[in-house]
Amino acid sequence: MKIIFKYADTYRKSMVIALLLMIVELIVELIQPILMAKIIDDGILSEDMSTIYVYGTILLGLTLIAFTAGIASSFFAAEVSQGVGHDLRRDMFRNVQMFSAMKIQQFATSSLLTRMTNDVTQVQNLLFAFMRIMLRAPLFIIFGIVMSFTLNIPLALILLATIPLLMVAMFWLMIRGMRLFRQVQERIDQVNNVIRENLLAIKLVKAFHRMAFENNRFASVNTTLKDKNKQALWVMEFVMPIVMLIMNLAMIGLLWLGYIQLDTGTAQAGEVVAVINYATRMLASFGVFSFLLMNVSRGRASAKRINDILDQSADDVVNHNQNREKIKGDVRLERVSFHYPKTEYNVLRDISFDVSSGERIGILGETGSGKTTLLNLIPYLFHPSAGTIYIDGRPIKQLGNTVRHDVTLVPQEGFLFSGTIQENIRWGNEHLSFEQVKKVAKDAQLHDFIMTLPNDYHTLIGQRGVNLSGGQKQRLSIARALADDPKILLLDDSTSALDATTEAQVLRAIGNRRCTTFVVSQKISSVLDADQIIVLEKGEIAGIGKHQQLVESNSLYQKIWRSQQKKGVVLDEH
Amino acid sequence: MNTKRAVVQSPQGSSKHHPPIGKKPKVKNFRATITRIWSYMETDKAMFWIVLAMIFLSSLLSLLGPYFIGVAVDVMTGADFLFSFTNILIILIVVFIMHSVTLALQNYWMIDVSQKTVYAMRKDLFEHVLRLPVIQFQKSQSGDLMSRLTNDIENVSRTLNTAVIQLSTSILTLIGTLAVMLWLSPLLTLMTVAIVPLMYFGMKWITNRTSYYFKEQQKELGEMTGFLEETLSGHSMVKLFHQEHRVIEQYRTRNEQLRKVGYWAQVYSGFIPKLMNSLNNFSFAIIVGLGGWIVLSTSATSITIGIIVTFTTYARQFTRPLNDLANQFNTILSAVAGAERAFEVIDQDEEELDKGKKDIHKVKGDIVFRNVSFSYQEEEAVLTNVSFHAKPGQTVALVGPTGAGKTTIISLLARFFEEVSGEILLDDQSMKTLTNKSIRNHLGMVLQDSYLFETSIRENIRYGNLDATDNEVEEAAKLANAHSFIEQLPNKYDTLLEGNGQGISQGQRQLIAIARAMLANPTILILDEATSSIDTITEIKITDALEKLMNGKTSFVIAHRLNTIEKADIILVLDDGQIIESGNHSSLMKEKGFYANLVSTQKVHQ
Repeated sequence: MKIIFKYADTYRKSMVIALLLMIVELIVELIQPILMAKIIDDGILSEDMSTIYVYGTILLGLTLIAFTAGIASSFFAAEVSQGVGHDLRRDMFRNVQMFSAMKIQQFATSSLLTRMTNDVTQVQNLLFAFMRIMLRAPLFIIFGIVMSFTLNIPLALILLATIPLLMVAMFWLMIRGMRLFRQVQERIDQVNNVIRENLLAIKLVKAFHRMAFENNRFASVNTTLKDKNKQALWVMEFVMPIVMLIMNLAMIGLLWLGYIQLDTGTAQAGEVVAVINYATRMLASFGVFSFLLMNVSRGRASAKRINDILDQSADDVVNHNQNREKIKGDVRLERVSFHYPKTEYNVLRDISFDVSSGERIGILGETGSGKTTLLNLIPYLFHPSAGTIYIDGRPIKQLGNTVRHDVTLVPQEGFLFSGTIQENIRWGNEHLSFEQVKKVAKDAQLHDFIMTLPNDYHTLIGQRGVNLSGGQKQRLSIARALADDPKILLLDDSTSALDATTEAQVLRAIGNRRCTTFVVSQKISSVLDADQIIVLEKGEIAGIGKHQQLVESNSLYQKIWRSQQKKGVVLDEH
Repeated sequence: MNTKRAVVQSPQGSSKHHPPIGKKPKVKNFRATITRIWSYMETDKAMFWIVLAMIFLSSLLSLLGPYFIGVAVDVMTGADFLFSFTNILIILIVVFIMHSVTLALQNYWMIDVSQKTVYAMRKDLFEHVLRLPVIQFQKSQSGDLMSRLTNDIENVSRTLNTAVIQLSTSILTLIGTLAVMLWLSPLLTLMTVAIVPLMYFGMKWITNRTSYYFKEQQKELGEMTGFLEETLSGHSMVKLFHQEHRVIEQYRTRNEQLRKVGYWAQVYSGFIPKLMNSLNNFSFAIIVGLGGWIVLSTSATSITIGIIVTFTTYARQFTRPLNDLANQFNTILSAVAGAERAFEVIDQDEEELDKGKKDIHKVKGDIVFRNVSFSYQEEEAVLTNVSFHAKPGQTVALVGPTGAGKTTIISLLARFFEEVSGEILLDDQSMKTLTNKSIRNHLGMVLQDSYLFETSIRENIRYGNLDATDNEVEEAAKLANAHSFIEQLPNKYDTLLEGNGQGISQGQRQLIAIARAMLANPTILILDEATSSIDTITEIKITDALEKLMNGKTSFVIAHRLNTIEKADIILVLDDGQIIESGNHSSLMKEKGFYANLVSTQKVHQ
């Protein structure tokens, strides 16, 4: 919750104005019963027409003031809540962009998305409500009692007596209700999770004929949701009748005491009516508490989730205009080990090798042997837990993330952005001329395909556009990487969906660029003519050398080589 | 319990959905949808009527309270009344207690009814979705389906609780208050009602504006969500191409735009409670001022101070339901729209029902395709005149470019789709006459992207055969060569997988999926590019394990690897939905056709 107020501080002026305007409204409402008492006592009972006119007009005038204040406060309150929402979104997004690839793994994309949209909206609503009605209810109750004291002390005491009772009821409601609503939310998440899984795995569910099983699974989470929901709602809906009863009984006390006072002449009718009026209005304002409960508990949860992100240090800050020279592309690893945070198992152990600029390195190894992790270390996406990486002889830490200007990685499943093909190729380098775009597309063996599309380079891809096959995506990703003119290019099995001919052509074109290239592959054929081939086994280097050396001396390599001797590769990509 | 909404209405009530009066949420058939929700409630019909009775009672009691307070004030100031002051107080106590009790009961029972109803709707919807043909999942985006199953139903759930109670309470209170007011003083009633036109036009003015801005806000928010989704899931791409500042800049523009429309939406919707409140205070002033004047100026009047007091309360009770109705109208409309979207899913045709079909128990695994054609609803044919015969135990390799119809063939086998023309025979019986359930009992599948559930590895494997013991699960894992890597995980078989098996590699996911298929021990096996992303070493082990598994089973493999294809008994070369060549490796090589060409170009590069 603190975070909300920290952000609201930027808009302190507007917030103060909004609150002041709210108090103006409040005062008007507090004065009304007094004026009413005046009208009854000094006007009706004293049969004085002019008093009724005067106070009646004042009453109307005040109403007009309250209305104006209310309308005006809407502008200021909206300014604050929308401003805070805007700022929260801005800072969250900025922070997330400055997270390292490692850190962002702590958050699922969907959860980040919810935090930046729903949670912010929740906080906005809370803030808006806070400035306009939430604070109003408690203030009204306090001031109402104070005003009653000025009117008639014994009657006011009755009102005051109800407060502790109501506080207890409310407090209990807050504590219990908040916990229950949190639990309800958890149950909703469980239900949604089962639904999501089933939608994604529908073929599996059908193929294994697990409908009954899944229905049961769903029924059980559905039942717990129903039960929890009932429990939470019951608590909520039970407190209000109790609160009403307390207030109503206080009202009877007021009537009874007022009756006695009138009888003994210690009070006037108008006073009693006014106090009763305060009591009625106080009762009405209690309704806000159940609303408050829901919103505060939701808002608090949202604020916490937002804070989780803002609290994370941005561990990969990128500065705008970094002075830098292009690197050459020498890479040296010295006894590098790596393990994921919060785990002890080293995914990579004691990796050392030395690569000169312009060389091609092949990396082979079993699933889970650490190939992808190794690649992620070089563009400074992951940081080694031990050992040092040197680029051009300088420790990578010195270069930091600026190294990415010259190092580019192509992931196995090429991630593309929605937009045209040209926009995707230009993603890393907006100023690329169309001729250059065409050049890299040709290098990636994609140009001919692009020309068959209805709008060639301007064809939209993705959800609203053309669907590309796996191989086409990979080639587009490669073109995009080449457009960035890298000095070190990392291909993470990113030609796996290409047929052998195309793959060879792509690799040849890359070879002409004289950049240091790391090629992770399942196929020896892809790395056959590499300057060095690194064979990884369970996070360690099992062999390193040229193809001929390895074929002669490395048993793991021999095994792979033999198994692939007579193997064709992908037959179905064109 | 109408004290509640009055103060509550504003920011939430109107910002959540479309504002009152103006534009309505799209509901195509309001009545039909309501009837349908009602039919879910039916099991608790008796309870529902009791709730309605309670609502009637509590509304009545909420009218009696202020009335007797007014009477008490009159008696205090010396007027005569039927009962003594003490008796009036006793009546009031009874009224108040009864009021609270009826409120509590109506809420208690209504919550029960509504939650049961929502439960039944959820259950029905979920079970129906599982029965939908697979083709529906390809057509309608799963995101849309997801939102119908979750958000829309949640919306119904949230509304149903309160909607019935508030709607009936509002209407009853409105009618009751009007009646009592008229009975007490037609003149004062007229003054109270005078604010209604003001309220109407005021609201209309506001909602004309809010509806526009809320729509804009929704649009901006939607676009922003799309943008976020992309940049967040492409986070490492942004990093790699050092485009952080560009996306931040792009985001800034969107964020600014959202703030702008959000600001106006909130400003205008913030007018609503203020308008209502001021009109309330306005009518209060009128009643007190004019009422007082009437009491004094006309001696023969029936208006007393007590009546004025009563009226000030009633005036609130009168405008509140009006306000509530306006708010509820929208909440209800949007919930109904939600329910309608959910029902639309239920109304989609289920997978060809198993009704009238017979079960097949023992299966040899003989499969014949006879002139099978298939097309998605009236679209171009995906498969034309496909015929082949796979004898029990044979392996069929499907080869061909993307979109040639390989996936369609296995989808037909798995009964995800049904053939449009021609016939598929299983052990000489047309699959159309057999229940999907029994066919799938004999079917094992390893799909292209093997899905894993968010549970332990053990349970994921056991999905293949729910009755399997832990031992059998581990045996299957050993066969699939998954055992060794599972043993290396911190909690071994009890390691919990995150959403869709994140945290373990793609290859490992496939190993688990293979173990799962092993455990199912089917007669017919379907492998969809199962080995395409597993590294060579593991693949050797898998090929070996699969060979064991395929032994004696009719297998259909969508294959990329030449060595898999070579071993197949039948190779079907597909192009453009047709079989262009078929035979085994050696016969096809002799033919020197498409296949032979494909193989030779591959070999050149080895």
